[in-house]
Amino acid sequence: MAEGRLKAEDRQFIPITFTLNGRAQEIQVEPHELLIDVIRNRFGFTGTKRSCDVQVCGACTVLVDGQPVSSCTYLAFEALGHDVLTIEGLAKNGKLHPLQEAFIEHGGLQCGFCTPGMILAAKSLLEQNANPTREEIIHFMEGNICRCTGYKKILESIQAAAKTLRQQSSGV
Amino acid sequence: MLRRFRLEEPESVKEACELLARHGESARIYAGGTELLLAMKEGLIQYERLINVKKITGLDQVKLENGTIRIGALTPHRKLENDPVLKQKLPAFVRMEHHVANVRVREVGTLGGNLCFAEPHADPGTLLMVLGAKLVAERASSRREIPAERFFVDAYETCLEADELLTDIHVPALPERAGAAYLKFGYLERPSVGVGLFIAWDQDAAIAEARIAVGCAGPKPKRVEEAEGLLKGKSARDAASALAQAGEIAGRAADAIGDLHGSAEYKEHIVGVLLKRAFQQISEQRSSKSSR
Amino acid sequence: MATKSSFTIVGKAARRVEGIEKVTGQAKFTVDLTIPGMLEGKVARSPYPHALVESIDTTRAEKLPGVVAVLTRADVKDINPYFGHCLRDRPLIALDRVRYVGEPVAAVAAVDALTAQEALSLVEVKYKELPVMATFDDSLTPGAPILHPDIQGEGAYHELKKLQAEIQTNVCHHEHIEEGDVGTGFAESDRIFEDVFEFPMVYHYTMEPHAAIAKVDANGITVWSSCAHPFVVRAELALIFEQPLSKVQVLVPYVGGAYGGKSYTKIEPLVVALARKAGQPVRLEQSVPESMLTNRRHSARVWIKTGVKRDGTLVAREAKVLLDTGAYADNGPRVARRAATRIHGPYRIGNYNIDALAVYTNTCPAGSFRSIGGPQSIWALESHMDIMAEQLGIDPLEFRLKNLLKRGDIVKSGAKPMDADLLSDLKQVAVKLDWKGSAKRRTGSGVGLAVGVTDSEAVPVSTAIVRLLADGSVVLMSGSTEVGQGTRTVLCQIAAEELSVALEKVTMHSTDTNVTPFDRSTGASRSTTVMGTAVRAAAADLRAQLIEIGAEILKAKPEQIVLKDGEIIAGEYRIGYTKALHTYFGMPGGELIGRGYCRPGGGMSPIYPLFWETGLGGADVEVDVETGEIKLNRFVGLADVGKAINPPQCEGQDEGAAMMGIGHTLFESLIYDKGQPLNPNLVDYRVPSFRNLPAVFDTILVENQDGPGPHGAKGMGETGIVSPAPAIGNALARATGVRIRELPLTPERVWRALRDKSSK
Repeated sequence: MAEGRLKAEDRQFIPITFTLNGRAQEIQVEPHELLIDVIRNRFGFTGTKRSCDVQVCGACTVLVDGQPVSSCTYLAFEALGHDVLTIEGLAKNGKLHPLQEAFIEHGGLQCGFCTPGMILAAKSLLEQNANPTREEIIHFMEGNICRCTGYKKILESIQAAAKTLRQQSSGV
Repeated sequence: MLRRFRLEEPESVKEACELLARHGESARIYAGGTELLLAMKEGLIQYERLINVKKITGLDQVKLENGTIRIGALTPHRKLENDPVLKQKLPAFVRMEHHVANVRVREVGTLGGNLCFAEPHADPGTLLMVLGAKLVAERASSRREIPAERFFVDAYETCLEADELLTDIHVPALPERAGAAYLKFGYLERPSVGVGLFIAWDQDAAIAEARIAVGCAGPKPKRVEEAEGLLKGKSARDAASALAQAGEIAGRAADAIGDLHGSAEYKEHIVGVLLKRAFQQISEQRSSKSSR
Repeated sequence: MATKSSFTIVGKAARRVEGIEKVTGQAKFTVDLTIPGMLEGKVARSPYPHALVESIDTTRAEKLPGVVAVLTRADVKDINPYFGHCLRDRPLIALDRVRYVGEPVAAVAAVDALTAQEALSLVEVKYKELPVMATFDDSLTPGAPILHPDIQGEGAYHELKKLQAEIQTNVCHHEHIEEGDVGTGFAESDRIFEDVFEFPMVYHYTMEPHAAIAKVDANGITVWSSCAHPFVVRAELALIFEQPLSKVQVLVPYVGGAYGGKSYTKIEPLVVALARKAGQPVRLEQSVPESMLTNRRHSARVWIKTGVKRDGTLVAREAKVLLDTGAYADNGPRVARRAATRIHGPYRIGNYNIDALAVYTNTCPAGSFRSIGGPQSIWALESHMDIMAEQLGIDPLEFRLKNLLKRGDIVKSGAKPMDADLLSDLKQVAVKLDWKGSAKRRTGSGVGLAVGVTDSEAVPVSTAIVRLLADGSVVLMSGSTEVGQGTRTVLCQIAAEELSVALEKVTMHSTDTNVTPFDRSTGASRSTTVMGTAVRAAAADLRAQLIEIGAEILKAKPEQIVLKDGEIIAGEYRIGYTKALHTYFGMPGGELIGRGYCRPGGGMSPIYPLFWETGLGGADVEVDVETGEIKLNRFVGLADVGKAINPPQCEGQDEGAAMMGIGHTLFESLIYDKGQPLNPNLVDYRVPSFRNLPAVFDTILVENQDGPGPHGAKGMGETGIVSPAPAIGNALARATGVRIRELPLTPERVWRALRDKSSK
């Protein structure tokens, strides 16, 4: 296997510009590099977690242009021209996002390993559907696994945050 | 972990096919990567280069032309599940897309990528077969249409030539008096069995045409024409017993494999259950439509 | 100590103290750390379940640019390469042979993970295959090869009165308990029931796989690890590498789930050995598939026989629990011990004769997993209870109520009497389930009950330090590991309550064994009870000092002093803690230190168990008779927690435990074929998702303030996992008439049972 590895002179570097947590970035990546490794190792945003590595668990979820993707299976060069949000970019000016508040308030987290991906997926859901039903939440979130909570308190956290966000947007 | 590879980014179908012809088996099309990258990370397959076809414009659109829905092969699942044309013309397809894997996979994975990887547990192929879809494959200088039921050769193997690129999926819009459904069942991450059903009725509410396909249970999705014949000409009332028999035939025809997803016997049984439920679903939709 | 009636912090829904870190991505787990000069490690693992390692050639791997070190058995000759807290039976890297698929054979340290990974394929190992003992049936066959002819004796933490490894057999531990006379008991019984149940291997799936970083230099050994038991790891590393405890530093960042899977020592000795050879720090970040071959729950076969009077009175019990402990003992001996008590159950039954055997096989080592031995034994026991009730024509609820132990009743001699009100607990669950109304259910729908009671394994040894800093803030030093269960919040609540300060004033940091005082371990639902007692004692010690200092400053008698909201008050005179400290030390600095110990006889009863942990459950199911799929309309869990220091966190623990139990009930199963794992990945090994959330999910907390811990608390969070399987199995039987004795209750298994029943 190792004999077949790419020779040093054949290595390819692709310049990409993209936005990461609201800041413009310009880097070079190799084709095989995964977004999760670039985010964690080059930018130090270690809130994005690697777990199952097969797109089942959702721990590595980041938002690309507002949509959830598995950064463990997303080639970094694909970020070109896109807006990438990790958990570190969610709180604004030190103020937690209503989802972050709700997860703390309603016990939506325990060990915390699934939490960044869980919150980002929920953010994407609530941006597309401000008032989701229980079934709609379950359908959207079923690809994010939590092994600690039993999901009930996560569901309640998302429902509570949805309510807060609706109140905020209606100016109540 | 991915090993290093080189990336090619053709901007036309022709260029992509030329790259395929030039690099042969050392290269592979990259059209989303949701399956391909997993297998590469696992070390099950390796390529010297990936050919990213997503730079080719125009292959990620859904259009209705002369009663045929043309789906660009590079359209992601998420776009398909939300597409207004499909919602109106092919609701069964939208429902199937809505339940492909999870939202992250649907965001990145493309219909063409899904079909070409030919993972046995994939959903779309089975439904496309009963919808009468044709898959358009292009080469640098030629183009052909492949009926969906002829596309899959074996697990992870399609009939595409080494230098062919899947560019479009053509699906006829559902006729006036017809319905379709795709149901799946399983208890692991991926489905154990998937069943696609298309039913067209004549003016007397008898079944004018039935198409049945079974997926996930065996190495590849399959049309089961033998079972289809049993339904033809049946009224709604007579359909029940014919369905049971059709289910048995379809089950046997599924080439079900006993594995972690269930024994062959169980999968064959589930084919029958899903077929019956798919028929119920179509019938209910039909009656709710006609009552409107 | 603070009076019980006037809590300001304890018993409240305090926000998780590390919540902000975790929702913002700031919380650092082991894999998030980078140590200067750190290399990446990868492990070459055995593809064979049982084989002699004939030769290992690392020449080509070592030549690959970027490779710094390749570790093999040749590199551990100057140390004691065996570990194991019960039995030292496990080499940190394969020596003469491999005993399971996934056993480390060589390890590479390289400049990056990709290089290390590529080097693995250049390590050439020659194996000679040996007969495979795939199951305990193979291992127990007379004349079977002995897997461990060379156990290196008891481990650093065996703590078992006598280890009963049957040397020269494959039995790693044989636990036997008996009382009364079962022969007479059975003779006096009107009916005798006998059943055999099977429980599958299951995997913890901590979302954070095992990870460790090690550094070896003139200061000794430093390890950052995703471990739940840092002091055990320290002891074992000290033994292996012949270092004093003071030269072995174990640091534990946040741990991404443990559930027992990160208990005791796992990958740390290997990473230390690799770092020692490389002369640089090394990180080993395992993948999920690797972690699935690192530890699992024991699969089991449980034979149970019970003699009963016609009126439903239990008279005698015999049981034998066979547990597949895999290739190495890990915590197997303790699992066998607990399984034995747990098959006895919380029922009045004077004559019993019970054996539990942990048996070596050529599979992944099994160890601790949330309620060790509990789910296996109680799946059998509580299913068996319903079978007997049905056969006797007695309502299963009434049958249980008739035989359940009342508070103060003897469970088994020498053990702590029952300390919970199980009858009223069970009635509460039955009411939630509408047990009475369930009789009229249509076919395919039904309810089932189960009582889970377990003897907590909690060893009552913990120490804590509480420091009051010059500005009135408090640092709590405790070795309990925050694995998600919320121990940090609970311990801070206990300290804040005792010290009469706001919760925000108290900070607890992660464990650094060079700084943090000793704790036995985080597990066995012991942290709130045992560490909580140590923390409360430490805070009380500090409180006493504050009172003394306050009395001196305020010129009052100590008994006149009251502490409230960070102030020392004597009548109308008062002084804040900060000012009191400044006055006491004569400068704006200084600090007070409170010490707390918990040990048997010192703050904690020496009688085993510390408490009986409860986890009752009720399930309301709907069965799709065509597919065999079970849907949960409702699940009710009940835990008697004594006192909930933080009620929502208790609920969260119980819900999480129940959901894990639902997982092994419905689909979780690690499948082996002749020693080869078939599904060590998250695609083929399914864990519960949002989809499995019961339509209604209730958690009942019972609080009688009667536990041995602070404010009457007792442990919880584990036993909630035991009830779902029997409750769902019993509901299935009542809904459909089919009784399944093997988990998981997959749709296919249910469908087959239904078909077999209808064809009869």
